[in-house]
Amino acid sequence: MKNNFERLQEQKPLFACLLITGLGIVTATFFGKDVVNLVTDFTYIPITGAFVILSLIISLRFRKTGNHGKAWLLFLGTAISWFIAETTWTVYELVYHLNPFPSTADVFYIAGYPFLFSFSIYYLKPFKKLVTRKIIFSTSLIAVSVLIPSLYMTMYNNSDESKFAIALGAIYPIADSIVLVPALIGIFLFFKGEVNFLWTLLLIGILFEVIADTGFQYFTLNDAYYTGHPIDILFIWSYIMFSFGVYNHIQLFKKSDKIKETNKLV
Amino acid sequence: MDFDQEQLRKAIVSLAIEKVLLAIGQPVYEKVIRQLSKDYNCYLPECYEHPDYLNKVLKKTFGNAHITIVDAIKRELDEQITEKPISVFISVISE
Repeated sequence: MKNNFERLQEQKPLFACLLITGLGIVTATFFGKDVVNLVTDFTYIPITGAFVILSLIISLRFRKTGNHGKAWLLFLGTAISWFIAETTWTVYELVYHLNPFPSTADVFYIAGYPFLFSFSIYYLKPFKKLVTRKIIFSTSLIAVSVLIPSLYMTMYNNSDESKFAIALGAIYPIADSIVLVPALIGIFLFFKGEVNFLWTLLLIGILFEVIADTGFQYFTLNDAYYTGHPIDILFIWSYIMFSFGVYNHIQLFKKSDKIKETNKLV
Repeated sequence: MDFDQEQLRKAIVSLAIEKVLLAIGQPVYEKVIRQLSKDYNCYLPECYEHPDYLNKVLKKTFGNAHITIVDAIKRELDEQITEKPISVFISVISE
C-alpha cells in the first residue's frame, strides 16, 4: 500500500505545474512590474478555470448522491467563487487600471471560504463518530497558532491603509485558519487511506494560502505588494494543490465500465 | 431450509453494505465494488462469506475512518446480530 509521500513522489505533472508557474513568475519579474503583473494576472485565470472544470467533473460524478455528493457541490461553489474573484481582480487591474484591493473581488474570495468549510463538514459527516473533542481542540490550537503573525500585524502597524482594508486583510488568515481545522481532521481520519491524498493536498494548499495571505497582509500594510509579487506564487500553488487533489479523487472514483449485475443479489 | 436462510442472510448483508455506502455517495459504492472485483475477484454478495475482503477494501480506501463505515453496517444489521453467522461477519469486518 502506497503512503502519501510515495504518492506525492509519483505526481510528476503536479511538480511540473508548480515549477512552471513558479519559474514563470520569477522570470517575468526580471522584465519589470508591468510584465510580471500581466503574466501573473493571466496565470490565475486558466489555473482557477481548470480548478472549476475539475470540480465540475467530480460534482457531476457524485450527482448530489449521499453526503459526498453534497460536499462536492459545495466544493464547486468554492472553485466558482475564486474563479470569479480572480477574473474580477484581473479586470479591475488590467481593464480599469484600478487597485483591486479592496474591491468586489474580495466578496468572491471570502465567499469561497464558507463553501470550502461546508464541503469539509459534509465530507467528514459520515465519519463524525471519530471526531472527538480532543481532536477538535488540538487542531484548533494549530489553527489559532498560525493566526498569531496576522493578528499581531493587524493590531500593531503604522500603515496608511484604511481601517477597512486592514480589517479585510486580516479576514483572510482568519478564514484560512478556520478551514485548516477540518483539513487537519481529514488527514487524521483518513490516515493510510487512498482518500487521504486529497486531504493532504488540501492541507498543503491551505497552508500555502495561510502563508500567502499573511504575506499579502504584511506587504500591503508596507505598501510593497504588487500583482506578481513572489507571494503570488503561493496563491497559484494553492490552486494547483486543490486542483490536483480533486483530480486524484476523480481518478479514484472514476466510473466503472460496468458494475456487474452479479453484485445485485436482490 | 438452511440454504434459504443463508441466501437470506447474504441478501441482508449485501443490502446493508449497499445502503451504508450509497449514503456516502454512489461513486463510493461503485469504487468498493470495483476494488472487491479487482483485488479479490469477489462480488458484493460474496462479502458475506469473505468479510475480510470488504475489511481490506474499506481500510485501503478510507484508512482509519473505515471503522465508522463498519459501525454503520453493524447498525444496519442490528436485528440479525444474534444470529451467529452475522455476528461472525461483523467481528471479521471490525478487525
